[in-house]
Amino acid sequence: MKNIIIAKPGMTPKKIIKNIRALKGVAFTSTGMRDAGQSDFKNRIRSYDLLSLAPLYNEMGLFSAECHGGARWHVGVMNRKESPFEEIDLLRVAMPNVLTQTLIRETNLWGYRPYAKNIIEYVVNRVDIDVWRCFSFLNDIRNMRTVAECVMKRGRLFEPAVSFTQSNWATDKYYLGVVKDIVDLSGGVDEIVLCIKDMAGVGSPKRIYELVDTIKQKYPDLVLQYHRHATDGLALPAMLAAAQAGCKIVDVQEDSLTRFFGQAPILAAHAYFEESGIPVNLNRSLAEASSQKARKWIGEYDWAESPFKGFDHEVVTHRMPGGAFPSSFEQAENGGFLHLMPSILKVMSLYNRIVRYMDVTPGSQITWVTCSGIVNLYDKERGSIGVEHVIELLNKLVEEKDRKFNLMDKEEQEELLLLFRNAPGDFKNLLLGAYGLLPVGWPDDWVYESAFGDEWKKKKKERKKQSPLDALKNEDLKKLRKELAEKLGDEPTDEDFILYLMHPKDALNMLEFREKYGETPLLLPTKVWREGLKTPGDNVAFEHWGKPYCIELVSIGDKHEGLIHVVLRVNNKTRVITVETPDAKKSEIRMASLSNEVGAPINGTAWRIGNPARGVLKVGDIVHKGEEVANLEAMKMENAINAPFEGQIAEVCFGLNDTVKEGQLLYVLEKVNERNTPIAEPHP
Amino acid sequence: MKNKKIEKVLIANRGVPAVRIIHTCKDLGIPTTAVYSSPDRLASHVLMADSAVHIGEAPPIQSYLNMEKIIDAAKTSGSNAIHPGWGFLAENPDFAQKVIDAGLIWIGPTPDVIRVMGDKIQAKKLALKANVPTIPGLSDVKNVKEIRKWMKDDHVGFPIMIKAASGGGGKGMVKVEKSEELEQAFEQTRSEGIKSFGDGQLLVEKYIEKGRHIEVQVVADTHGNVIHLYERECTLQRRNQKIIEEAPSPSLNEDIRNEICFTANRLMREIGYTSAGTVEFLFDSATSKYFFLEVNTRLQVEHGVTELITGLDIVSIMIDIAQGKPLSFDKAAIHPNRWALEVRLNAEDPKNFSPSFGTINRMRLEPGPAVRVAQSVYEGAEVPPYYDSLMMLIMSTGRDRDHAIQAMDRTLSRNVRIEGVKTLAPLLLSIIRHKSFRSGDFSTRFIEEHMDELISTFRDRNSEDEVLKIAQYVAEISALGTQEWM
Repeated sequence: MKNIIIAKPGMTPKKIIKNIRALKGVAFTSTGMRDAGQSDFKNRIRSYDLLSLAPLYNEMGLFSAECHGGARWHVGVMNRKESPFEEIDLLRVAMPNVLTQTLIRETNLWGYRPYAKNIIEYVVNRVDIDVWRCFSFLNDIRNMRTVAECVMKRGRLFEPAVSFTQSNWATDKYYLGVVKDIVDLSGGVDEIVLCIKDMAGVGSPKRIYELVDTIKQKYPDLVLQYHRHATDGLALPAMLAAAQAGCKIVDVQEDSLTRFFGQAPILAAHAYFEESGIPVNLNRSLAEASSQKARKWIGEYDWAESPFKGFDHEVVTHRMPGGAFPSSFEQAENGGFLHLMPSILKVMSLYNRIVRYMDVTPGSQITWVTCSGIVNLYDKERGSIGVEHVIELLNKLVEEKDRKFNLMDKEEQEELLLLFRNAPGDFKNLLLGAYGLLPVGWPDDWVYESAFGDEWKKKKKERKKQSPLDALKNEDLKKLRKELAEKLGDEPTDEDFILYLMHPKDALNMLEFREKYGETPLLLPTKVWREGLKTPGDNVAFEHWGKPYCIELVSIGDKHEGLIHVVLRVNNKTRVITVETPDAKKSEIRMASLSNEVGAPINGTAWRIGNPARGVLKVGDIVHKGEEVANLEAMKMENAINAPFEGQIAEVCFGLNDTVKEGQLLYVLEKVNERNTPIAEPHP
Repeated sequence: MKNKKIEKVLIANRGVPAVRIIHTCKDLGIPTTAVYSSPDRLASHVLMADSAVHIGEAPPIQSYLNMEKIIDAAKTSGSNAIHPGWGFLAENPDFAQKVIDAGLIWIGPTPDVIRVMGDKIQAKKLALKANVPTIPGLSDVKNVKEIRKWMKDDHVGFPIMIKAASGGGGKGMVKVEKSEELEQAFEQTRSEGIKSFGDGQLLVEKYIEKGRHIEVQVVADTHGNVIHLYERECTLQRRNQKIIEEAPSPSLNEDIRNEICFTANRLMREIGYTSAGTVEFLFDSATSKYFFLEVNTRLQVEHGVTELITGLDIVSIMIDIAQGKPLSFDKAAIHPNRWALEVRLNAEDPKNFSPSFGTINRMRLEPGPAVRVAQSVYEGAEVPPYYDSLMMLIMSTGRDRDHAIQAMDRTLSRNVRIEGVKTLAPLLLSIIRHKSFRSGDFSTRFIEEHMDELISTFRDRNSEDEVLKIAQYVAEISALGTQEWM
């Protein structure tokens, strides 16, 4: 089947929905630019490589390209040193026909805390994305209100997602309730796509068929999209089942990017659907080209793949979402507890029947941190026997006693009452309703007692029923922005500010990195980005602001006193660049930073300590506000340095005739100790 | 003065002035001797001269202000003339006298004229005598009390200027805004006067708000010919030091121009001036009044703009005069026919004028049409912390002011690149692009009044810098390998 442009940036949501309804068969969303990388390559796939797919996407007939959001934002800022804003700008140019799609948490957005309404509005109104896939890990649709309002008001397509899991409590009736909330929130079915978000890849083909069919029967005009991870190995049949039941859009990715935890391969999906009589709106030859293109560079990311290989049908019990696989295993590896992973996954499968919510961010993190914490604690205190013991304990509670705490032995009860005592703050906040209502009710009282100890009754009483949207007070954006400006030493852009709102520390690090290394993350090929140039004569060529550049390695010197001299030819000009190794001796100059520290206002020679009236100043002397405490000479001009306030000299940090740098610490002053009477007056 | 032939010139200076003078000497076929302090061993002027003599350590007092060493250097190097350039000993009458006493030719005005004009108090008296308007003030101030009394008696309010009687070049000059600052300013001026000029005598003057700084270039031979080469406008200053100069002045009309130039000529004739010199005025554009400031008895930094509009070589004229030759042209032969602009590319942080010293790692200079450059640095050179921050003068010309600015804009924004030290280039560019500068509407306080605005228009990124950041990254990863944070 030929591709038809069914959606383009600038089209109204109504028109897009009309086109999809009229479409015979299905359309694809490619997650090659986001979820594929998140689920199998720790989100390390760089814009540099992904951009090579964009011209192909532009004509491929996709419904959309998911290229933004989820954890890609944070990892971009933290590890790839790319800003999601510049990535979208580049993609817009390279694929102007394609709807860009993000994945956003309803109140946490792309960060890790619930944001106040005014921050959500500020952020959502300033991010240039066409399709907003928004989910709540609690399916608490109330929480989506602000995002929905902003997106719909901007004329962009809102795609609310039902977080899906397969469980005895996650019934059709339950989901219909969630869908109703969504339809009510969105003012009907004509301007939204509804997503079933199977983030762990647990929906069996039969279950998915039933669910789609049930929803379609109730809302025949609702356009459905099935987002499914491949973890259980059953993605393709489940997707086909969804399409057969009336789902119009499914998520796929390049065959060459497919491993175990992301989406199904696009070419296989295309062939399978077409053979089953469901036409796909896709230019197959471009999809083939895209898959080949990705194959050329995906080898550069072998190192980023999860150490846990292969499909894992047990995901239907532990429910770790595909997007969390690589990062969880990475943490386990770094933390030295990779060997405990099978036990942690087992504990997760029991835990999620005690505290019931959807395992997706931030819920999946809460699950992960809580469960890995419990297993690690038992391992540390009692070794592998302890780990086995806690699994048995939970198994008995959940399986044998059907979660009935009072049926457990006295001793077991006591142990359970300590199980969550060291659980992370987010787990406790979840119990207190800080994220919203839990999908099928609060956990049993013993969980509260286990988490909060003696205070549990009081805590339980404080449990909120409100949505965090209503519970959180608006924040002072001006103040936050000023705080950032102070840290940057410069006026931030709106984009810098949003990066900062999402991840304060990492955003600052990235801005600092970019100040130092410019557009490096966007311009260097991945091999050079990771390894540099290896052999003399190796070079890297790129365009910068429309002009060609070439950097060639001439030589790398030996380490000497912690320094390595690297000789490069930059556009034919030889440059020697000094690189500090971690063991470089740091002759660090102390800089004045605190309010009681007096720094040099300029570079110069400190030719006088003190002033002519009083002579040389020393530790213990009391200086008066405005009194000259030193004089710097620079290029034959004198510069008096005056005491900023009345104080006692605690430290003199320079010597006579020292050459001092701008900002260098000269004096540390202390408030005059009142017991230190009599206060010495300066000699007249 | 009797006619005497210069065989070889010793330039008692360093940096841009030394280089400038060596250029003309080369044009004239006169060999040159450079002098240098220890840190200047490989400086530009040393490499350019025909011979060079080491005269001492870094502190100026041991080297470039060391009269005996310099005169010895002239003798040992076979130089029979000394040009002092500007700064250092250029306006030191004792030095001029010693040079003459040693039987050498002094390329500059007579020691007597230097002495009289070097004393601001005396100079003011002479100006008054010659009927040249001067700024109300108090001479030979001994203490702060006197200043306060004068202010009270003559109804003078703050701000006021305290000047070292022997100061110049922006040094030994402090503006006082408030009464509380008076004591410290007084001490500072005195100290700077003693340190830089060996003299703590002070005078105080009323501060002319919104004043403009106009100066007239004069050349006078030993045969009684005194000719002015028109004015220069040097209003744009920071910390009382000029950073942009131009000729002609955009603030004068023909009548005032002629009047000021004529007044300057008259004063120089009356004091018996010889060689090249400048009469400085403060011009109050609101009232069209002008006041005598001082006579600079030397070649000035900004002489180049006058050379560009007149086609003359002032250093060459000074050499001719020193040899007793009469001026080879008369007033009628001077036809300024273009606009010229000069900027001082100092090695300073453009945001706060903090001196920036270090190694010039890279330097690229492509002047292009209508641009003249005088530089004292080269790629690999050191900018030492001991001396003036001036390292390059860039001049541009055009048939009118706009065209001269255009050529300067091109040079500053694209054709000069210096790595290793900070330069004033971003600030200079912001100034010449500023609306008020373009319209000619500015005063000596323009920079302090507009600093934040000027800084805000600095272009913070250029492609070459950005690519170097990438090179830095490539170097680091090539040397250190894959990093943890990736």
